[in-house]
Amino acid sequence: MGRGAQALIRALEAVDCEVIFGIPGGAILPVYDPLFESTKIRHVLMRHEQGAGHAAVGYAQATGRVGVCMATSGPGATNLVTPLADAYMDSVPIVAVTGQVARPVIGTDAFQEADIASITLPITKHSFQVTDPADIPQVIAEAFAVAAGGRPGPVLVDIPKDVQVARTTYRDATPPVYHRAAPSPADVDAAVRLIASARRPVLYVGGGVIRSGAAPALLAFAELTGIPVVTTLMARGAFPDSHRQHLGMPGMHGTVAAVGALQKSDLLIALGTRFDDRVTGVLEEFAPGARVIHADIDPAEINKNRRADVGIVGDCRVVLAALTSAVRAVGDLRDWWAQLDALRETFPLGYDRPADGKLAPQYVIERISALAGPEAIYTAGVGQHQMWAAQYVKYERPGSFLNSGGLGTMGYAVPAALGAKVGAPDRQVWAIDGDGCFQMTNQELATCALEGIPIKVAVINNGNLGMVRQWQNLFYGGRYSNTNLNTHTRRIPDFVRLAEALGCVGLRCESEQDVDRVVLEAMEVRDMPVVVDFVVGENAQVWPMVAAGTGNDQIMAARGIRPLFDADFEE
Amino acid sequence: MTSHKLMMLVRNKPGVLARVVVLFSSRNVEVESLSFVPAGHGDLSRVDVVVGLREDRTSDQLMKQLARLLDVVHVADVDSAGDTALIA
Repeated sequence: MGRGAQALIRALEAVDCEVIFGIPGGAILPVYDPLFESTKIRHVLMRHEQGAGHAAVGYAQATGRVGVCMATSGPGATNLVTPLADAYMDSVPIVAVTGQVARPVIGTDAFQEADIASITLPITKHSFQVTDPADIPQVIAEAFAVAAGGRPGPVLVDIPKDVQVARTTYRDATPPVYHRAAPSPADVDAAVRLIASARRPVLYVGGGVIRSGAAPALLAFAELTGIPVVTTLMARGAFPDSHRQHLGMPGMHGTVAAVGALQKSDLLIALGTRFDDRVTGVLEEFAPGARVIHADIDPAEINKNRRADVGIVGDCRVVLAALTSAVRAVGDLRDWWAQLDALRETFPLGYDRPADGKLAPQYVIERISALAGPEAIYTAGVGQHQMWAAQYVKYERPGSFLNSGGLGTMGYAVPAALGAKVGAPDRQVWAIDGDGCFQMTNQELATCALEGIPIKVAVINNGNLGMVRQWQNLFYGGRYSNTNLNTHTRRIPDFVRLAEALGCVGLRCESEQDVDRVVLEAMEVRDMPVVVDFVVGENAQVWPMVAAGTGNDQIMAARGIRPLFDADFEE
Repeated sequence: MTSHKLMMLVRNKPGVLARVVVLFSSRNVEVESLSFVPAGHGDLSRVDVVVGLREDRTSDQLMKQLARLLDVVHVADVDSAGDTALIA
């Protein structure tokens, strides 16, 4: 006979959990006792439960395994709400284990009581409340299977304290098995017919391709057919940036070629993507001449925002394999490629050095990419630096760019990098963060320093909430209400000294000629986390841009420069 | 608003009704009436619900979103002949 808490640790070991990111507290305390003895599970003691959740997400995104975070009841659990919502939006498989007050006091407003299962209903794939310690092995096995199966997502397991201490006999669980959903042959045939007759097809690739491990299948299909590829923010790395058929990222800050390709396409082959508003712009004006093949593992995504002419329900890897073996003919794409090549030649991604002589943030990111290379893992926060990280880092492989795409969570970069480094210790991990984002979660650098997790953080410090400032510049007449963080003017905080206080190496770089030297210096530090304060100009803006509330045809390549697609394309 | 009458079979697991009702509110679906009664051999419940959807929305999308809830076994739009999303 053991106790519920022991059964929980044994059950987590049985599903091959190798690391838990968490913080103990009163209502989860019984679990931390047997966890202390586990030789199979590493516990990483975080500084904030939000960090634990994002670390689990980063771990899951970098490894493809289920990430696990743990927290106590009440505030511990509510601090997990943001990462759970993030994992739900970006379909990341994580399991959150929370302590709960003992059953006899549930519903009495007990100390540190919060109804976390109800709070997280709209942002979890499923949740379990354990009422019998004998159920623990089965619940954990099911939680892992549900998180990873089908469309991945977060699962909550809430365990009252009295269940953790109750006596029970451990019994092995029989986990449910999810098979990769195979598409119907009729749908594949219909898709193949559309592909054969298309003259301007585009592969519109989303994060589902990465989640299903379909990048090699995508490469095979794209090379077989010669169809151009665009990769969304969540799919950066699903197709090599160096590949000739890759037009870049579509959407609000996408390349002119990628946006133009979608707008002028006669057939979108949408794979594991959800026609997000940041990609489509005004929906009615999105890809007006295109028929749509939409393949997704989640039937509820098909026809949600854009009606599909052919909907294929299935795992992207299986769908791509089926399409590759079924496709016979592809139209002549030479005219289409000539138009797209002209577009990408005329409107390449680019930036100007700031007129005030300050360091260009895009240059910093370009150099980090060049020096750290495509084998590194990059994470980003949310804002201008995130878009530049999506644009100017060259991704060659899936799982090399982790960011909070759907929820847009500022503060994601540092804890996600921590989790990624734990999951992939042999890879260099760079968190590309903003000065606003960094101030939300930098406490996890103490975790990194003490636990031996040597991540690198590039703070793209423009002294402002840069993306908000950009919108104030463009749409609010330059009235910069509450966007200046004064990290330039008063240097509060001083990021170098902050880094040192948190047990990291702190470096600073303020000029272009120092960038390579400082990045290389950061790369040479292997046993400690490093923070580099890149002091960059505040006036740099993210271009191209499709302003919110406009159609993709209104894309601005830079301020005042609007590509006239109609002149570039002959129908 | 168009009314749609849906019938669901759900597993009698804790929180199943809450999950269904929260889906309605988070997907901006108006609930006009709802009943929840035992069905099967006590392991299932039947939910009959009349929902109001904007003119441009079909019940098809909502049924798929309901069907992906783990403890929803069956969903049907009672007024339309077309069946249903069925989960094993």
